[in-house]
Amino acid sequence: MIVNSEALYETKPLVTVKGTRDGLLFLLDEQSDMDDLCAYVSNLLSGESGKVFDGPMVEIVVDYGRRKLTPADCNRILSLFLARENFVLRTWGSGTEARQSLFYRNRTTRRQTIYHGVVRAGEPLSFDGDVVIIGDVNPSAHVRATGDIYVFGRLLGIAHAGVSGDSSSIIAATEFSPMQLRICDTVSRAPTLHEQPMQAFMEFAYLDNGHLAVSHMRYFAQWEKARSRERETTQKGSRA
Amino acid sequence: MSSAIVVTSGKGGVGKTTSTANIATALALLGKKVCIVDADIGLRNLDVVMGLENRIIYDIIDVANGDCRLQQALIRDKRFEQLVLLPAAQTKDKRALTPDVMKRLVAELKADYEYIVIDCPAGIEEGFKVAVAPADFAIVVTTPENTAVRDADRVIGLLEREQVGSPRLIINRIRPQMVKRGEMLDIDEIVQILACDLLGIVPDDESVIKNSNLGEPSAMNPDTPAGLAYRNIARRILGDSVPLMSLEEKSGLWGRVKRLISGR
Repeated sequence: MIVNSEALYETKPLVTVKGTRDGLLFLLDEQSDMDDLCAYVSNLLSGESGKVFDGPMVEIVVDYGRRKLTPADCNRILSLFLARENFVLRTWGSGTEARQSLFYRNRTTRRQTIYHGVVRAGEPLSFDGDVVIIGDVNPSAHVRATGDIYVFGRLLGIAHAGVSGDSSSIIAATEFSPMQLRICDTVSRAPTLHEQPMQAFMEFAYLDNGHLAVSHMRYFAQWEKARSRERETTQKGSRA
Repeated sequence: MSSAIVVTSGKGGVGKTTSTANIATALALLGKKVCIVDADIGLRNLDVVMGLENRIIYDIIDVANGDCRLQQALIRDKRFEQLVLLPAAQTKDKRALTPDVMKRLVAELKADYEYIVIDCPAGIEEGFKVAVAPADFAIVVTTPENTAVRDADRVIGLLEREQVGSPRLIINRIRPQMVKRGEMLDIDEIVQILACDLLGIVPDDESVIKNSNLGEPSAMNPDTPAGLAYRNIARRILGDSVPLMSLEEKSGLWGRVKRLISGR
């Protein structure tokens, strides 16, 4: 049997790159020689493989683990990263949030359901976790979920998100003219315009300081990002 | 192949009984052998609409209790040989009529008749379950009012759960002028909410009330808008493709003058 010694050596690269929500995460090896590491980083970023990183501005997190670094070492490694013009350094340190999220993420997975069909009047439907309804929710139909409710159709009935107390739940619909909205314990009637239920499209409702607010879906991605960050900190708080 | 059709609505007063009588009459007019079953026990009036109330001797509860044979309770229509009515009871205990008994009766009727049209009571309680049990498909009657549409929606949900083949919709008592002014729900909106096949539309027509008081179903007279609408519905049940009737006012002399003035 022929063993490729080089391949063996490369089983654990000196730098591991991961895509995380906070940007690109670089995990530096803790044991190896400083010179080897620098050579590896320099080769990774500006060598043949560096083309992978070409493109728009990207936030990076560099995590050096438990390695003891002198200020000179720090400068040496950082200058290698900052040599790339499209890198913006977000965090530099050991045990960064991004690194932790890598290990703790998806620990508490939320249940997700896709429901096909029209929810008709007087039909109570309950879901554990988030639900996507592909179909209409008709007037006086009642959908409840412990998480988010997304309606891929007309939301004309009653939607109750965060039934068991998750105040960060949202209700979204392609045609958004609900009879009544409930998130957690907050109840609100549909937004009206001149006494008529307002016909809105692609909207989502969320709790903002205890009040129900409605925004266009174009702001949802941004809002979601903030929410998941918040959820992570509360999660971490409960772990600690 | 005979089939059992249940006419239902949830809400009362939208025209279930009138629709049942007219659809059955129109089917008989087209030469089909039809039996109408009145499942609205206690509040029977299908026999009144058909003008057959003075001929009732036995009713559906008598049949269910075994007090008479099915054939004895059937009342032959005065206009058509091939149209019969199984009347509801007025005063007797309706608990004798269970979904299973109803299924048995309808299965027996299917041997002799091509269409069994069942008039369902209002509401969604036991009577509804009994009427719906033997049906091959349902016709849901609604009117262009929020309350009726809401109840129809609920009923369609229940029918889907009972796995009665996909319901078909009749929108009754449409007033074209009100729809045009935007004061009444329009047909598209109703069909969109209820998400089921449209079997027909029936315009609001005074002659319907007059005819049901006379015990003469409107479908007998194709000159009235409602009569024509019910004939079209019967043809669609048989599988013909008949376009929906236009709700525009008839163009008399005055209509033509108006059109000239408005330049249309």
